[in-house]
Amino acid sequence: MPEPIIETYELTKYYGNVKAVDHLNLTVYEGEIFGFLGPNGAGKTTTLLMLMGLTVPTSGTATVGGYDIIKESREVRRIAGMLPEGAGYYEDLTARQNLDYIGQLNDIPESERKKRIDELLEAVGLTKWANTKVEKFSRGMKQRLGIAEVLIKKPKIAFFDEPTIGLDPQGTKEVRDLMTQLNKEHGLTIFLSSHLLYEVQQTCHRVGIIRGGRLVAADTIENLSKNIAEKGRMVIEFKLTEIRSDLIRELEAINGVTHIKRGEDNRLYVYMESDRSREVSETITKHGSIILLMKPKEHSLEEIFLKYYEREA
Amino acid sequence: MAGAITVCRKELADHLGSKRYIVLFALILVLSTLSAYQGAEYIKDNPQAGFIAVFSGARFGFSFTSLMVFFGPIIGLSLGFDAINKERTSGSLSMLLSQPIYRDSVINGKFLAGTAALSLLTVTTIGIMSGVAMSILGFGPTLDDASRIILFTLLTILYLAFWLALGLLYSTVTKKTSTSILMSVATWLFFSIVITIIAALVANLLVPITMPRDTSGGNIAKILRSPEFRELLRRRFSIQMNIQRVSPAYLYNEAGASILGISGGRLGFIGPGGGRPFKSLELIEGLTASWPQITAIAAGLVICFVSSYVLFLRLEIRPGG
Repeated sequence: MPEPIIETYELTKYYGNVKAVDHLNLTVYEGEIFGFLGPNGAGKTTTLLMLMGLTVPTSGTATVGGYDIIKESREVRRIAGMLPEGAGYYEDLTARQNLDYIGQLNDIPESERKKRIDELLEAVGLTKWANTKVEKFSRGMKQRLGIAEVLIKKPKIAFFDEPTIGLDPQGTKEVRDLMTQLNKEHGLTIFLSSHLLYEVQQTCHRVGIIRGGRLVAADTIENLSKNIAEKGRMVIEFKLTEIRSDLIRELEAINGVTHIKRGEDNRLYVYMESDRSREVSETITKHGSIILLMKPKEHSLEEIFLKYYEREA
Repeated sequence: MAGAITVCRKELADHLGSKRYIVLFALILVLSTLSAYQGAEYIKDNPQAGFIAVFSGARFGFSFTSLMVFFGPIIGLSLGFDAINKERTSGSLSMLLSQPIYRDSVINGKFLAGTAALSLLTVTTIGIMSGVAMSILGFGPTLDDASRIILFTLLTILYLAFWLALGLLYSTVTKKTSTSILMSVATWLFFSIVITIIAALVANLLVPITMPRDTSGGNIAKILRSPEFRELLRRRFSIQMNIQRVSPAYLYNEAGASILGISGGRLGFIGPGGGRPFKSLELIEGLTASWPQITAIAAGLVICFVSSYVLFLRLEIRPGG
């Protein structure tokens, strides 16, 4: 059983009368990539800012790596790094100088700093641009510099806030690959805040869905999907060589099958209350049709996401 | 504290390499050297003035003190007005605050760096001026003069640091650098130009000068010499002076005059120029005389810095800056 590394207790933040985060209870385990999913304005960034000690919670608290985010926020920042949304750099300094400054602020001795900077520049692919002023950098390069700045302190936890926003597909892929690699090779716990469902599905082990400052679900994507499936009905998708109308009539007669939907390209969607896939496929072969494809229809993350949203609303 | 030193080192390097600082430094250096030349010429003509008149003697209208009265606000404000809000807009502030430092290290470091840059400017300028004057005059400052120069240097640094702290405050209360730069320019204009106009206006309203209608030329001269008229002028001047004392630049001017040993507080172009002879104050006397002004400037500095400090510590880093 992995150890929890981030735990929030009734974490709440008001901006004036506006509730940004509402009694959030959340656990993130060591070594996982946790996807923090929610639309713009759901409270993702505010949560991150509170966890890093940049904003003080209105009520509730949290621990990061065992440190209290209010009383020991400096210790939190020692072991956790954050790449905020819209992070900025010192434009008239070079990439190396920017990294060196962050390294100094983390009390990394000079020789060690130099070594780490070289390694990190290599890792994020900026070695060639080490001595170029950041003002000349593209968005993707800046984002990679930001990741290097997060990593220079060798954190246990990294918070990434919408790290691929505004990047081209190539840059997006590089950032995602880098996150996955860091997690796999260095066991870095990653807290990824995003509103991009696909991104979360691709990279995250577990997902937390936040809505209006509240956590509405937190589990693996598989389990979230299963939960929804159990509540609804099972659907199996078939692709056949031919579909005759008497076949459909006969399938509908099977006990447990509620209805049949025809799709294009000789596809059938069979809706069942319980698993009747065996009977269904037998009936189909009996009618002389050949099954080209048969698979349970999975819920896409988009469906899961919307389902959880609807349920809450 | 370690964090503050790191921030200070980086900020100081930024200042010293910035075009803004270099341009201001060059401008002040050129004008000061010219004024040292003037001051030295003045001493040649008025041997009783002594070496320190290098900083106050103004033959063509500007001395080092008057330069500082006029340019001081711009120098100090320009090093401070974008210290915080620039980093806020660019997003580097949230990156900086995600590091394991206390938040006050950032503002302390920035203020220290600004003060160091201003000190460098002041010390270099005054040093070069002394050198220029010594080579023209052929003699150097006496021990008394030297101590006055040191005190005067410290006063100038304090005065510039006040403007720096005000700039820092502007950069903390505003989100955009365009707003804080406008506030800085407005402050500069107000304290260096507008306040003298207001002071003159108020003095004129409170103590109007009425001329008798039909008088021959001889009578006018008589009136101007009369004790009543002199009293009138004195009252007007005192009203003007008290209003202008709102301006730290004026306070600096007065304190500078006292420290340099010139009574009357009429060094630069602030205050009416008169032909009163030099009356040298002893060093201790001068320091005592300038104490109220020094305290006022220091208090202003502390108020500005503490306000920006508190505001910065309470600053909410919100999503999107």
